[in-house]
Amino acid sequence: MELIVLLGLPFFMGMVVFFVNQDRFKKILFLSTTSLHLLTTMSFWQRKPHDVQFNAFLGFDALSLLILGLVSILFFAVSIYLIGFLKEEEHRSNRIFIACLLCLLSAMTLVTLSRHMGLLWIAIETATLLSAPSINFYRNPRSIEATWKYLLISSIGVALALLGTLFLGVSATTIKTVFLENILNNAASLSPSWLKLSIIFLIVGYGTKMGLAPMHTWKPDAYGEAPAPVGAIMSGALTGCAFLAIFRVTQICFHAHLEKFVSPIFILLGLLSLGIAAIFILGQKDFNRMLGYSSVEHMGILVLGLGLGGGAIWASLFHAVNNAFAKGLIFLVAGNLYQNFRSKKVSAEGGPAAGGEIIRGVIHQLPATGLFLILGFIVIAGFPPFGIFYSELLILKEAILTQRYMIVFLYFLFLSVIFWGFSEVILGMAFGKPADNAPPKIKKENIFTIIPLAILTFVLLFSGVFVPQFLYDLINEASALLGG
Amino acid sequence: MWLELALILIVFLGVIILGNNRLGTIIQIFALQSFVLSTTPLLIYPGLHAVAIMIVTIILKVILMPSLLFWAMRHVSIRWEVQPLIGYGKTLILGGFLMSVAFLISSKLELPAKEISNLLIPSAFSVVMMGFLLLVSRFKAITQVIGYLVMENGIFLFALLLLEKTPLLVEMGILLDIFVGVLVMGIVVNHINREFGSGSTINLTNLKD
Repeated sequence: MELIVLLGLPFFMGMVVFFVNQDRFKKILFLSTTSLHLLTTMSFWQRKPHDVQFNAFLGFDALSLLILGLVSILFFAVSIYLIGFLKEEEHRSNRIFIACLLCLLSAMTLVTLSRHMGLLWIAIETATLLSAPSINFYRNPRSIEATWKYLLISSIGVALALLGTLFLGVSATTIKTVFLENILNNAASLSPSWLKLSIIFLIVGYGTKMGLAPMHTWKPDAYGEAPAPVGAIMSGALTGCAFLAIFRVTQICFHAHLEKFVSPIFILLGLLSLGIAAIFILGQKDFNRMLGYSSVEHMGILVLGLGLGGGAIWASLFHAVNNAFAKGLIFLVAGNLYQNFRSKKVSAEGGPAAGGEIIRGVIHQLPATGLFLILGFIVIAGFPPFGIFYSELLILKEAILTQRYMIVFLYFLFLSVIFWGFSEVILGMAFGKPADNAPPKIKKENIFTIIPLAILTFVLLFSGVFVPQFLYDLINEASALLGG
Repeated sequence: MWLELALILIVFLGVIILGNNRLGTIIQIFALQSFVLSTTPLLIYPGLHAVAIMIVTIILKVILMPSLLFWAMRHVSIRWEVQPLIGYGKTLILGGFLMSVAFLISSKLELPAKEISNLLIPSAFSVVMMGFLLLVSRFKAITQVIGYLVMENGIFLFALLLLEKTPLLVEMGILLDIFVGVLVMGIVVNHINREFGSGSTINLTNLKD
């Protein structure tokens, strides 16, 4: 029954939406589907033990529940947001857009549920394909370019992951399956050379999906051109799903006693992502692209945590939760800004965001959005008391405790540079004076585009500041999967 | 014996794709390559499982995908690749070089199970790398999609090693996913054609830092 609501219902509704003409009806269908999905997910949080096995292919563990929670809450927030958002975009066809989003919810749920590495691959590939048409919502040359790059780079990445999955199967000749349970239980019997090859391919493949440098090049383009709700879902939920895949790979490594092999790879990718993000955030002229690079940064922190191991694994999971909601919040804010200014430009110079006015003085023109812009900045930049501050600190602590001072230095340097670049842009946007020659326009805020911001802020308070017991337990259990 | 012949044919057709510049011919050769590919499961493990895979592969890779690609390029006025990033001669030499790399890598990797054919892993690696080469060296969106598909054909060869072990359901899912991938790509190619006037990705340079 739960499976039908979680997996089947969004998919079925996606098909139904395709044949519905009325906008109002489509929005109601979307909202009710995500609400049901969220309620079902919440019912699983309360249950103990968290491990549920539906059949050989599908089941829950603590990590699945954690990621499913992110996906479900973000979709719920976005479904409210869409009521206001689509009202401003009434002249555009949204049939494919909403259908794809609903099916995407199904695909992401499948990612979290799958207990078979082949099925995991299928789910991630499906999610990739379904997110591509929704990037192309505005149907202009820029968004087509972004869609093409996203599609091509992700497809190559996911193809490499398929190759990695096959190598994993080759290394598992004695057990003859790639069910996660069987592989974890018999990890010692896997053939080491094929397993190592498989791990490299899987990390590169799923790392592309997650947007780790140097495979991140699609990210600023896709996030820059996608409509805001899609950006929120991709940077919050889809990267979470890719992180889950990377986490599964790490699980296999740890069971096969290959920690020493995999942790330098993760540390290298993590620091590289942080470095690239630092370089490109500085002096960025396009707000959404900057958020794309910020996502690269946070994905880097996640794998850095996995690479450091020990207490950093807990921090990494905690970071994944908080980053997802923070990204959701700030992307929806970006959507409000775009709908009012019809521009993503944040600096006077030309550059890719040429055209349109420069976003300035948000706090005066759009008070509510401005408030959440500042709030989102506080969360993402890692100010206390929010969760991201805490998890970044824990990862720093782990690096210091294991006496890897080079990592400590680089980590600190990159984070400071990113903080500087970020605050320069956002403070200018929020408090700066609008240019004199800009024609004064009447800006308005729809209540439905403010409510989800409030919901996400509320969730952020509970995921980072007043952490409820069940979330603690869930993260503890999930990090115990890696012995953290 | 027949298996080796099929494998050699698959690699050979890959080389022909690398050296060709007419889009229509490339699609047809790809369809031929996929057809040869679809017979290989039957040559290794004769049985119902292999027949099922063969039928689905033929329907998807030999019939549907090529027709989809022909549909996507119906409006393109220029039906051949103009000025590839790497010239055709050089691409062929590079392809040959990659083939030798494939044999070198395969000789280092020991198969834990009994060997099906000595040629299987090297040819799989070769086809994957040829597809990748096609993907990075050409500008036409259609050729890039074919590069991706050739890469997938190579991955299919690897999957033969595991044919006994993977459930049919998972295999069908993978094939279907690849098909949907090509469907989406075809639609985007169509958009590129309409928006930019030619199916060339040279024009896609608006987004950069």
